[in-house]
Amino acid sequence: MLFVAGACVTAGLAQTVLQTPRKAPAETPGLIDVTERDLVASPVKDDWVSYNGDYTGRRFSSLTQITPANVGRLTAQWVFHPRTVSPLEVTPVVVAGVMFVTSANDAYALDAQTGKVLWRHARPITRGLVDDAAMHHNRGVAVLRTRVYMETDNAHLLCLDARSGGMIWDVAYATGNHNYGATSAPLIVKDMVLVGTSGGVDGVRGFLAAFDAQTGKERWRFWTIPAPGEKGSDSWPMDMYLHGGGTTWMPGTYDPNLNTLYWGTGNPSPDYDGSVRPGDDLYTSCLLALDPDTGKLKWYFQFTPHNLFDYDGVETPVLVDANFQGKPRKLIVIANRNGFLYILDRVSGQFLFAKQFAQRQTWARGIDNEGRPIPSGLIPDEKGVEICPGEGGATNWYSPSYDPAMHLFFFRSLDACAIFQSKTEPFEEGRNWYATGTRATEQGGHGYINAFDLNTLTFSWRNAQIGPYKGWGGVMSTATGLVIYGDDAENFVVLDGRTGKALWHFNVGQIVHASPMSYAIGGKEYFAVAAGSDIFAFALP
Amino acid sequence: MTKNRPKRFKNADRAGHSPSPRPRRVTLPVAAGLVFAGLFLIRFGLAQTDEHRVGAQRFGEYCAACHGIDGKGGDKAASLAMTLSAMTRSDAELEQIVRNGTAEGMPPFAQIGDANIQAVVHYLRKLKGDADAAPVTGDVHAGRALFFGKAGCAACHKIGGDGEFIASDLTEYSRSHGAREITEAIRNPDNPVPRASQVATVTTRDGKTLTGILRYEDNFSLALESEDGRYHLLSKNDVRRLEYAGHSLMPRDYSERLSAAELNDIVSFLVVAGRSAEIDTSPPH
Repeated sequence: MLFVAGACVTAGLAQTVLQTPRKAPAETPGLIDVTERDLVASPVKDDWVSYNGDYTGRRFSSLTQITPANVGRLTAQWVFHPRTVSPLEVTPVVVAGVMFVTSANDAYALDAQTGKVLWRHARPITRGLVDDAAMHHNRGVAVLRTRVYMETDNAHLLCLDARSGGMIWDVAYATGNHNYGATSAPLIVKDMVLVGTSGGVDGVRGFLAAFDAQTGKERWRFWTIPAPGEKGSDSWPMDMYLHGGGTTWMPGTYDPNLNTLYWGTGNPSPDYDGSVRPGDDLYTSCLLALDPDTGKLKWYFQFTPHNLFDYDGVETPVLVDANFQGKPRKLIVIANRNGFLYILDRVSGQFLFAKQFAQRQTWARGIDNEGRPIPSGLIPDEKGVEICPGEGGATNWYSPSYDPAMHLFFFRSLDACAIFQSKTEPFEEGRNWYATGTRATEQGGHGYINAFDLNTLTFSWRNAQIGPYKGWGGVMSTATGLVIYGDDAENFVVLDGRTGKALWHFNVGQIVHASPMSYAIGGKEYFAVAAGSDIFAFALP
Repeated sequence: MTKNRPKRFKNADRAGHSPSPRPRRVTLPVAAGLVFAGLFLIRFGLAQTDEHRVGAQRFGEYCAACHGIDGKGGDKAASLAMTLSAMTRSDAELEQIVRNGTAEGMPPFAQIGDANIQAVVHYLRKLKGDADAAPVTGDVHAGRALFFGKAGCAACHKIGGDGEFIASDLTEYSRSHGAREITEAIRNPDNPVPRASQVATVTTRDGKTLTGILRYEDNFSLALESEDGRYHLLSKNDVRRLEYAGHSLMPRDYSERLSAAELNDIVSFLVVAGRSAEIDTSPPH
């Protein structure tokens, strides 16, 4: 089950990625004007300017006011209840003391010190959608200059005035299939807004599209399912390429020095029936490296070729600069839904390392020297086959985090299996295309928060989650060694990143289905998280 | 591949201003409960049929306590700003909202019976139809030119994605305000001062003086947005004095600055813009 490429990530880490100072918010309190420089800056300080905080996807804050010594005094500061959808999956974005959140198709600007509404842009939910889009999940906004961007459940890209919420433009960016939807936060790169769609289990053709942030005009579109005649099209007979899935439903990451975008793709459609999509099903369940100026593919790495198990590849590809095999390398670390943690060279896409983290894993016998899984031969059938991980994956879209000082990669995992059933069914607009589905096993599942040590390539600790729910809370970390997340029992929790020991918790009374973030105003550090149908903010007294 | 372009208003380029992208389809609220609130627009002076009267009576009995006797909302429920999304719903959906309530806190009204629920919804449909039928008597294109030019409206307001931010977005304004009401709001703008539009001046304890729009205020904190778009987010502990100007930023001399014909042109432009404002709430197709 374990493949180690004879290599090791060593401790004397290179400099962290993208060490660029951000302008001090004190210079511009209350003034929303996010520049390209602000977006490139890393590590995250007072402002949290994008879904993951910065382009590296590390979800790591350099704020130091809250420490292991004083975190016990952390208290709730405010609660905001947007009233439109539950559970929220948004990560708040904070700029100059103003917080932007979404709930279904609504966007809000809040006073980040009080949670009070500065403006609301309201838009009705769309009826008649399918699957995730029909639940109107939305993971937040992107901000550039004085504009806020969000996706709607029916795959429109909205450009709003960050100072008032007034709409500037609205682009419907997915057509040709009723089953498209959108749930992600957009990503700003240079002067473009990048968006993807949901619908990967519903027979849509995945793509990533870039729009001019000023005008809303489309710059480029990369289709994740090749058209007839293109490389990989042998998996998609007839018009299957129009329904092959591979959607781009989470924000990617970006290395400005390499001028490369890293974006994960979802499972193929139909989800559990591989008989109608022979071969590897490119470019589903992949990590794509794209040129942001053109949308051209630089390289790709496929985690789960011919995926039969709903193992999307959209988990955050975290950019890490570290010594590997004794020399500094630019790496990507990703814990994949298929149960394996991967390390890739992000310049070339070369596979370097994989390690199984799912404690129950039966779909593959291991990962070969090229990074390709060795299938176990288990295939869903009409009667049902127990396969691990289950369809929810050994991890999922909730955020991982990387602490560059401790060289620890933190992420949530779930050990669970499912009975996978499948039979061939035709595609039909207006309904999902799982063909057929899964059911839970009697054993249930067990969640963990994990710390993977990039020096030793072993797990430093695993914190078992006890509670009645299947946790969906991502993690973040801070420069003071804290790890923050929502647990499986409706608690918001701070751990000691060195040991995994809990230092503080607060019962938010709702399951956390989102990833936390941090910000500071006037030197006061906050943690914020969406829990159930509310946004909570915490700080020291 | 179909390339989608930003939505624009019809005749977007005719008024001679920069044709930057504008939404053809404009904002609508999403929340079911708030949505429903907007339906209760009562336009006075309408002919009262029996069915209409029954609907109005039931509204007064069951709805007005939260939504206001004129349907313009109150502290407990939404104002007319929330009207449009309700209008896009089918009768069956609206009846279901009344019957079952909403997750946002509107209680269920199944107990009033299907006949009364249907009467209210029918009544609201009729009101909307009457509002849409209001005649436009001015020159819409001249009104647009005035809005973005001489009258200076766009220096503060957005419409169809163009204009500035410090005042309210007027794209949908006419969907909930008739021509007469709009005319009056331009001539006599602060009657009353909209809650989130009033100008205030804050003197802080460290001696700074800030003037802007009071976006929110409670007993403990306030948010003032100055004309440069900067939010001043203050604890009341840091405020020495708060003075309400008693007006918004809207000029109060339009009766003198604009002729009656020009005013009518602007109103006509706003009315037509509101009618063409439409939001795409359909699945991708």
